[in-house]
Amino acid sequence: MKIQHHLGGIEGLEPSSFEKRVFVQPWEERIFGIHVAMMGLSDHLEAVKTVPTQFKSFWTWGHLRKGAEGLNPFDYFKYRYYEKWLGGISGFFVESGYLSKEELDSQTTVYLENLDVPLPSGGEPGIDEQVMEYLRVGDSPKCDVAIQPKFKLGDVVTVRNPPPVEHCKLPGYLRTQKGVVKEVYEGTYSYYFPTGDGVGDPMPIYNVKFDSHDIWGNLTEPQTWIYVQIFEAYLEDPA
Amino acid sequence: MTEDIDRETYSAARVRALESLLIEKGIITGETVDKVIEFFERDMGPFNGAKIVAKAWVDPAFKQQLLEDTPSAIAEMNFPRGMAGAEGENMKAVANTPEVHNLIVCTMCSCYPWPVLGLPPYWFKDPTFRARAIREPRKVLQEFGLDIPESKRVDVWDTSAQIRWFVLPERPLETEGWTEDQLAAIVTPEAMQGAAKVVVPA
Repeated sequence: MKIQHHLGGIEGLEPSSFEKRVFVQPWEERIFGIHVAMMGLSDHLEAVKTVPTQFKSFWTWGHLRKGAEGLNPFDYFKYRYYEKWLGGISGFFVESGYLSKEELDSQTTVYLENLDVPLPSGGEPGIDEQVMEYLRVGDSPKCDVAIQPKFKLGDVVTVRNPPPVEHCKLPGYLRTQKGVVKEVYEGTYSYYFPTGDGVGDPMPIYNVKFDSHDIWGNLTEPQTWIYVQIFEAYLEDPA
Repeated sequence: MTEDIDRETYSAARVRALESLLIEKGIITGETVDKVIEFFERDMGPFNGAKIVAKAWVDPAFKQQLLEDTPSAIAEMNFPRGMAGAEGENMKAVANTPEVHNLIVCTMCSCYPWPVLGLPPYWFKDPTFRARAIREPRKVLQEFGLDIPESKRVDVWDTSAQIRWFVLPERPLETEGWTEDQLAAIVTPEAMQGAAKVVVPA
């Protein structure tokens, strides 16, 4: 069981902070920008084939999430949001052979001694053009593949309980629960890579409505409904 | 990491080291990260969402279109290119009413409608919010300063697949006769996620 897939509903937590800033430290903006650049330069994008970048990898939200979900669960809570990104992304560049741990460590020492040492400048303009174009055009999961949806509006469906995998799109609190289909989304949708529990290839997605009481009994509030968009692979007819 | 270097100092140096090596090795340029940051300061941010909300408040036909076909309604407004771009490919608006209060959460990560609301605030990314909001939304909202009675229905939208939700908040009654610009100026990102109501500043 991967606790990162079962966050929804955990009890005994402290009050939520209402921190409204996006970044609480200037350095966090940098790892955010690096992640966006990696997604914009990912080799699964057709446009990247002609971009003069030395980045030759497949990198998406799925890769970032999978890394975070692969952390020791207690570390997942201990490290702040962008600390997890920094750890995951630097680890990725080292493991993929773009840079060595020694290089990264010695360069870190340079900046620990003086953070104001300038960054290198220059580079191929085509790289920035593609990253900006990626931001404006996006990378939609919607596919041209036509598949007849198994379920229709108003159907009662049961959420399956597949064995845990490294990365999935099924919120843990929904496993085995019954809900009602409130919308069958038009078209089919893929995921960046197969998750191992059924999601990956193009399939319909449904907006399914759940009664919070069915899931948490007295540990939730009255008159509370939950809407979740669920890949068809995670749903079945009630037994 | 040695004990006498604090966490933030270390991370700041670490990310700068990473960025410098990526530039040196031709993966990104010396300007890539700055350009990405500028994009969210200048082109894509909650200032877009505020304009959408203001228009929906003054124009009932636009409001209906926004709720039925969010992308087409947004496409009719005069925004910079990219409103259906990264994290905006499948956006959808839900309306708060006197009967229903909507709250958006992403329990699995932090999916957020970038073109309309910009980048997610810390509270939205916080595992504590993600864990609690789905099960006790009114308690969490009360901690945020918003009281929703148990008699009022709350719909919580867990952003678990392709849709990127945002909320069309209720218009404050005291804004009768206001222009769209005046209305947009009081719409906050929190109100567009269901974490606050729009209020007229004192």
